[in-house]
Amino acid sequence: MMLQSEFIRFLTEADADIQEFPVLPVKEITTKLNTATANHHDAKDNIRSPFTFTSQRFRLNKEDELFEDGDIQRHLYLQDAITSVTDDTEKPKVSEFRCHIAGCSQLFDTLEGYEHHYNTFHRNVCSYCKRSFPSGHLLDIHILEWHDSLFQILAEKQNMYQCLVEGCSVKFKTSIDRKDHLIKIHSYPPDFRFDKPKKSKSQDKTPHRRDVTMEVSGAVQPRPDDTGRMESMEVCPPEKAEPAMNEDSSGHVEQMKPRYSYKVPATICFGQGSVRGFRGMKKKK
Amino acid sequence: MWRLKAVRHKVHPQCGNLEEFQFKRREYEKALRKARKDQLLVSKRLLQEEGDHEGMEITAEVLSKKEVVQLFRGIQQSGEERVNALRDFRRALRHKETQHIFVKLENSMHLLVGLFSGSNAVWQLEAAHCLHELSHSDEPSIALACLPATPYLLTYLSGQSAKFTELCLYTLGNLTAESEAVRKQLLAQGIVPALASCIQSPHAAVVEAVGYTLSQLLQAKEAPEKIIPSVLESGVTSHLLRLLQSDSEFGIGAAIECAWCLHYIISSNANTNLLMVQGAVSKCTSLLVALGGAVASGTTTEGMDLVISPVLRCLGNLLANHGMESCREQMRDSRVLVALCAFIQGFLQQRPSVARESLWVINNLTADDPVFCSAVFYLNLVPVFMQLLPFSKGINIMVLRLLCNIAEKGPVYCQQLQQREIFSALHATLRMAEPEVVRLSLELLHIIVASIPQVADEFTEKGISALEAIQYNSDEEIRLRASYILDHYLHKHSQVNTPAV
Repeated sequence: MMLQSEFIRFLTEADADIQEFPVLPVKEITTKLNTATANHHDAKDNIRSPFTFTSQRFRLNKEDELFEDGDIQRHLYLQDAITSVTDDTEKPKVSEFRCHIAGCSQLFDTLEGYEHHYNTFHRNVCSYCKRSFPSGHLLDIHILEWHDSLFQILAEKQNMYQCLVEGCSVKFKTSIDRKDHLIKIHSYPPDFRFDKPKKSKSQDKTPHRRDVTMEVSGAVQPRPDDTGRMESMEVCPPEKAEPAMNEDSSGHVEQMKPRYSYKVPATICFGQGSVRGFRGMKKKK
Repeated sequence: MWRLKAVRHKVHPQCGNLEEFQFKRREYEKALRKARKDQLLVSKRLLQEEGDHEGMEITAEVLSKKEVVQLFRGIQQSGEERVNALRDFRRALRHKETQHIFVKLENSMHLLVGLFSGSNAVWQLEAAHCLHELSHSDEPSIALACLPATPYLLTYLSGQSAKFTELCLYTLGNLTAESEAVRKQLLAQGIVPALASCIQSPHAAVVEAVGYTLSQLLQAKEAPEKIIPSVLESGVTSHLLRLLQSDSEFGIGAAIECAWCLHYIISSNANTNLLMVQGAVSKCTSLLVALGGAVASGTTTEGMDLVISPVLRCLGNLLANHGMESCREQMRDSRVLVALCAFIQGFLQQRPSVARESLWVINNLTADDPVFCSAVFYLNLVPVFMQLLPFSKGINIMVLRLLCNIAEKGPVYCQQLQQREIFSALHATLRMAEPEVVRLSLELLHIIVASIPQVADEFTEKGISALEAIQYNSDEEIRLRASYILDHYLHKHSQVNTPAV
């Protein structure tokens, strides 16, 4: 890239007439083309392109916000208040990253921080009950044991409860047996978070959730019984999805489900996962 | 730039309490910003003699009314006593209270103006200093009290003494800044032609002072309708442009004032055809190239940003008003692009506003001009822009806009961008906090994949998760764009993440 020294050289050379530079060929692109060359899917939907960018020159008034800092410098100069003491208010501000999931909307200083958050809380989410898991493996087991009706039937006849440790292929008759195995053989703690047995009690959590509003502005209210400790990694099921989500072009209900994999986060995640995050991490501004 | 040198000591922390000093500075700046928002930002200059700043520190305490009357009596006497009284008075008038007391005394202003317009040169000079102190007040009533002096102030502009002319100019400039009523009177009394003639002075200090006074006139709220037309007619603009040089004998101080005058003219709705004819674009461009060279080689002088900023604004607005076709002849020097990038890199940390304004000019250069867009690649400037993407407060937004300008030119341009790792930049910007940044990133992504669909794969691998996450963003504009891209350009890859159960 053009380094400082190259800048100097270039700027101090004789005039470099811009007309001498090769001009790359221009070809206008028409974005609306997509509906014309549609496959049957598009033609039916008749979606118009939502993109609005056109290149344009901007005129700026002298009162424009973009000029504010420069004007202040000008006036400080007039008032003889220019200082060479470095002032930290003038440093350029670095962008923060924000979780896209409406209602979560947490801020992060770095892309890594954001990605870690996303992968931990929003990635492996069960589309049936919206709980999130730290890995695909645990999610698979969860879905199998909690939402597969066939599982219960099979479990009566054979050992279906598999060990949670990846690579350990032992299976057990009951979840309690598995838990013993985890504790004895794999030295897991007895209160391991991702080994909650399926109880009907978990459904009782739902009434609490209804108290939590789902405004997209993301005003998350802490649950009444939140102690700030993480009881489980489970994320409680949210309220029904935002109406906008349902108004998909095709109008099909399954559009609400993640379209690329059943593991992709469905909608907002409330519950201890995010509330805990709320206390520990940066608050949404 | 004698002014910066002269008063540097004033703003250094006295007792080494840096934190307190910085706190006060910040409060002061906040007040200025608020004033600007209310369009009440007015600044005046106080001319100080070289030997004077010592005197500033040991200013006399505020005089009582009795003492003021005493001094006034002294002025009323003729002879030596008068001169001494006037000198003491000048210092005393630094205090607001003294100013008030004085102007309320019977015949006080009448006497002062009489001395100012009289034939005794010593008294005249002292009286001029007193008037100058009064003009610096921020109380409207004080400025109005000075009105009787204005016809003389204007008359003396065509006098022979450079120092005296300078003093009169700053006094006029301060009064001008004060109120519309004062400006109305000054305009009627012919301030514009007087300044147009005065700017041709061979003295640097006088020229700088004219620039200052003119800038106060042009900054006024009523300027576009009532002042700028006559300024354009007066012929002063050709002199303003002439003085836009980096190494002129008139010094950078004069260039600063002239640049701000031009900015105020151009940024109003005035007809800038005259300026175009007078070569404003060419002047601005060559000055920016010269300054760019200085910045790139590290030989910046203090306050260089004070002249760069208004010149950037002039160029940006001239480009916006007239378009590339009209400006092209005056913009043949491609070095201006490099100069703009030198400013961006040179000032980003200390004066990000300069970087922001430079980016705006580059946007206006690239918006409808494939020549400058091609030059960006030829001069290898894309990495400079990409390095700016982490910075918010308008910087990354402007960068994305100009990248869109470039991409919009066609597939060949998109190819060039894509080869320069634009996708990895987008992976980050698509996750940033500002919705505008995300929206523009999607626009850019769309332009590229619509132009060259073959490269969609390269984006998909790492980028598709960002688009998926965006499906759940609360902003509809953003959601629509992301899903459109997913549907139309990346749909082939919808099977990638389906797990085997």
